[in-house]
Amino acid sequence: MTNNVNTKQLIACQQCDALYSRPELKQGQKVKCAQCDSTIIERKVDSTDRSFFWSLAGIIFLVPAILLPIMGVTLVGQYHHASLLDCILVLIDRGFFMIASLVFLFAIAVPTVRLFGAFYITYSFKFNKLKPSLLSFFRAYHYLEHWTMLNVFMLGIIVSMYKLLDDTELSVNMGLFAFAFWLVSSTMASSALDQDYIWQTLENEFVD
Amino acid sequence: MSLLIKTAKQENLALCPKCQRVNVLQSQPQHCVRCKGLFYQRKPNSLQYALAWNIVALLAFIPANLYPIMIIYSLGIGEPSTILSGIGQFVDYGLYPIAAIIFTASIIVPLLKIIGLFLLVYRVHTGVRLRPDKHSRFYHMLEFLGPWSMLDVFVVALLVAVVELGFVTSVAAGPAINYFALTVIFTMLAANSFDPRLLWDKTSD
Repeated sequence: MTNNVNTKQLIACQQCDALYSRPELKQGQKVKCAQCDSTIIERKVDSTDRSFFWSLAGIIFLVPAILLPIMGVTLVGQYHHASLLDCILVLIDRGFFMIASLVFLFAIAVPTVRLFGAFYITYSFKFNKLKPSLLSFFRAYHYLEHWTMLNVFMLGIIVSMYKLLDDTELSVNMGLFAFAFWLVSSTMASSALDQDYIWQTLENEFVD
Repeated sequence: MSLLIKTAKQENLALCPKCQRVNVLQSQPQHCVRCKGLFYQRKPNSLQYALAWNIVALLAFIPANLYPIMIIYSLGIGEPSTILSGIGQFVDYGLYPIAAIIFTASIIVPLLKIIGLFLLVYRVHTGVRLRPDKHSRFYHMLEFLGPWSMLDVFVVALLVAVVELGFVTSVAAGPAINYFALTVIFTMLAANSFDPRLLWDKTSD
């Protein structure tokens, strides 16, 4: 019986596989699964605009967040500070290649790729430059979903500050603020993105 | 409740995990009509993969706690500290909230993830479905908590880079940091390879 059902009109829950017919959604509404209570689709408000400008802001803060020193310590007259990039370089220098590459991946590479990905997708939508290649591009964008750890790194900065506070004189540098802004804008850029809307538009455009 | 709701599998349909498009099941694996990605109706060998990643995560967690995670040098004398002794230090200083955060992120969360996932795999394997909604929510929580265990790795990376005052004081990373990072990554891979829909599957047919 199902083979002649229009599957375009169906949605299914990712968590429990429950099947529903697709309702019409207004901006700000979302569909929750009746069985497991997880959100299935959500029509986000001004998704393209918001995600576009947040990712633009993220790209602006990207370079200062990586290069500017995050914090510094002073002890008996000596001062030393480090940026996100310094962390990686020092770890390579000391021979901790695995940790260096993990910090690079989770705190620089993946967030950067996600940010530029969100920017490219929303740019194409905003200025009507849709291409069939966006289908595979947006699919690739999902692979990195779980592997951005900017928020964890931010908590790491706070914890290490407390660790240093006791026996050294701690100074906070501009890099910390740049990093915080980078974290906020890249989180907002990816959470403002309305994936269901993007997929549907791409499907109507390029899939017959 | 579950009598009214049909699953995509029962209707011979399959959900593309990447673009959430409902497809008519044709073959395993098949290409999604929308995003052209290759996918299966359920993650193949989900339980075996989850179990395997889980076991290596547990194995890596042992040296992660036994070896020192960092060595603090002051005036040329090195003082190694493990994850637990680092937490003890915060307790000594009276910084209880920070001690609680680190204890949660580096001990409770990895253990909870490993034990929890063993439990979920066991549940699916035995086929006893008592409260799938509860288990599903539990899985969701495990997935969300995963990356937060990297906290200790980032803290050590920062301390090594910032505290570099030559002979006066410096911090070096210890061997445990590699094992700990591996534990976190293995638990994340374990959670990723588990398919939560298996928790619901046999209840309704």
